[in-house]
Parts: sequence; structure tokens; C-alpha cells
Amino acid sequence: MKSDVLYMFGVIVAVFAANYALRALPFIAFGGRGRPLPRWASSMGEYVSPVIIAALIVYSYAGLAWRTPWPYVAGALTVGLQLWRRNPLASIIAGTILYMCLLSCGCVSERSHRLESSVAHPIVRVTSRGIMFKDVPVTPARAVALLEENEVPKNRTLHVLVDDDFDNQRVLWVFKHNYLDRAGYTKSVWIHGRRGESGKADIKPPDRGVATPYRDRMFR
Amino acid sequence: MIAWREWRTAASRAFVDSLPVLMGYTTMGFVAGVLLAAKGGVSLAPLWAVLSSSMWITGTMSFAFVPEIAARSSIATIVLMTVAVNFRYAFYGFSMLERWRKIPFVQKAYLILMLTDENYALEVAASQSMDDKTHLKYCTVISALNHSYWVAGVTVGAVVVCLLGMAIDPDVIRRHTNGMEFAMVALFLVIFTDQIRSFVSHEK
Repeated sequence: MKSDVLYMFGVIVAVFAANYALRALPFIAFGGRGRPLPRWASSMGEYVSPVIIAALIVYSYAGLAWRTPWPYVAGALTVGLQLWRRNPLASIIAGTILYMCLLSCGCVSERSHRLESSVAHPIVRVTSRGIMFKDVPVTPARAVALLEENEVPKNRTLHVLVDDDFDNQRVLWVFKHNYLDRAGYTKSVWIHGRRGESGKADIKPPDRGVATPYRDRMFR
Repeated sequence: MIAWREWRTAASRAFVDSLPVLMGYTTMGFVAGVLLAAKGGVSLAPLWAVLSSSMWITGTMSFAFVPEIAARSSIATIVLMTVAVNFRYAFYGFSMLERWRKIPFVQKAYLILMLTDENYALEVAASQSMDDKTHLKYCTVISALNHSYWVAGVTVGAVVVCLLGMAIDPDVIRRHTNGMEFAMVALFLVIFTDQIRSFVSHEK
């Protein structure tokens, strides 16, 4: 607790110092009251600003949904309005509102398409009928491929729902070590039970005594 | 009396210009505050939110340093990261050297502290249409306004998380304010457009 406080204090002061030093660098180097400014420094001040702002535009586009056309459409509207009406606030607000609408109503939104995997909503489930990806039976290799396709983050814990009546530890071991771990999903966790929450839980599983040919093919 | 009028023109222009930044800073700051309190893994989050947001305004670092403090990375690592991420700030001062040469020390120190992307862009844009005295007042007012937006955003974010007890997921807030961050990009676009236009008209 006390060391936490010291640590946070240290971090904040250190970042402050680093930041301030960067920002003050030109002033320290050339800011002396008596000294005249070297010509290259003053011309740098003149020409550097459009370059910096152009770089800032590129840099901040990387933080937007730049793979979709929407930021470019909204940007075109902003620049067009500014050229036409010369009212900065109006151009900015119009562009921002258009961008927000395009993102939320538009057909492609990178974030909303991404699958959420959490404790409450595990997308992978191991049942006696085999592995289910969103209640569709898949092979283990396909399950891993689907996880990767849907950009489920590998650094976060992956919760896999294991049905209560499923106790074939070997199958779980193979799925975890040969498929999930190898693909990079090293933080997989089994959660047991709670079958009622999954969509097709009311379907009666086949008799567990009989090894279905499908299962045998899966876990060779 | 004349100085008072100068302050008023500078302040009213600064306030209108700061509105896009208000949109961007409060939402971005709010998310940063929520992130710090929910994912930082430290006690007394609101205190750190107030302290960090008033001492440094750098959007990228406010987000990037949260996983680092959660992992308790060494201070040297975090400093190195700051320098790498924010190296561009070292160039901003060149545009302001001449104008800020003879101003009082405290004011200069504050203006340098507040030399963020948005402040820099606005200050450079305003410098073309103002005399030095008004411009200096404009810089001061806009720095203070944007500073207050950022501190308010971060602090409210951290306090809300503490009150609601981790019930808030930063990802959910991000999804709901999705797109608001375009205000900043639009600001840069507008300023760049005006710069190019004035450049072209000077050429003719």
C-alpha cells in the first residue's frame, strides 16, 4: 500500500519530467534573452508547423477505424466544408457527427463485429457431442481457426465452457495443449457446468457410453 | 482598460476555438480516467487521476501507462516509453520561440507545459491573425481551458469507477462514445486546410 503510493508518485513525477523536458528543449537551447536566434531555428519554426500538423493527421488517423472508408468520408466532408464556408467549428462538428453516424449505423464497424468472449458468454464449449463454436459443432482445428478469424485476443483469458457430464480429461488435455496452446491461446480456462446459459443446452446429449464416429475422428 | 478589452477578445475567440477540444478532451479524458481506475490496479485512483492529468496532458501516455503501472514496470521503462511516444513535442517549441521570447517566466513555464498537439495547432493557426499581445493572451486562455477540460474528464472518469465499484467496463464506454475522437482529427484537418489555403494565396 505505502510502496504503491510511492511508486505512483514516482511514475507521475517521472513522466511529467520527461514530458516537460521534451517540450522545453527548444526554449532551453535557444531561449536566452540576449542571444539572437540562429537563422535555421527561426526558419524551422516557420516551415515546421504545416509538416507537424500533416504528420499529426496521419498519426491520429491510425487511432481511428482507418481500415474502413468512414474516416476518409468524414475527413472529406470536413475539408470540403472548411474550403467552402470557412467556419471551423461547423466543419468539425459536421465531420464528427457524420463519422459517428457512419461508425454506428454503417455496415462495417470493426469493433461491433468482433466476438466477445467472457466468463458469462463463452463462445467455445466442449460437450459430449464434440466442440461447439457458438453452438455449431466444429473440429478443434476449426475452433482455433475461428477464434483467430474473429480476432479473439490471445493475451486475455479464454474461458471454455465444459459441460457437467463431460469428464474425458484426455480430450480436454489434447484440445488445450495441442490446439489452443500451440495457436497462442495459452491462457485458456475450463469452466464447468452452467449449461442452461448456452443456447442449445436443452438438446439431449447422446449416450456417453457410445463413442460416436465423429468424436473419434476429432481426437485421434 | 485597453488590456481588459484585449483579454476579452482573446478569451472569446479562445473559447469558441476550444469547443472541438472540449468534445475530444472530455470524452478521451473520461475513458483514460476509467481505464486508470479500473485496470491500473492501484488504490487511491482519483488522486492519481487528478495529479497525473494536471501535471501532464499527453493523451497517448495516459492510455499507454495504465498497463505499465498495472504490471508495476520500472520507472525507467515508463520514462523511456514517454520519450519515444512524445518525441514530437521537442519540435513544437520552434514555432513559438520568437513569440514567447519576452514573456514572464511563470507564464512561459505554463505555456510550455501545455504545449499539446491541440494547443499547438490552435496557437499556430491563431498566430497569423493576431498581434503578439493578443496572441499571448489567447494562448494563455486556451491552455487553461483545455487543461480544465482534460482534468475534469480524467477525474470524473476515475471517480465514477470508484463510486460504482468496478462495474464499468472501459470497453463499453469506448463503444458508446465511439467516433467522438474524430473531433481532434477534424480540428487538425481544418487547420491544415487553412494553412494550405494561406500558403497558396501568398504564392499568387
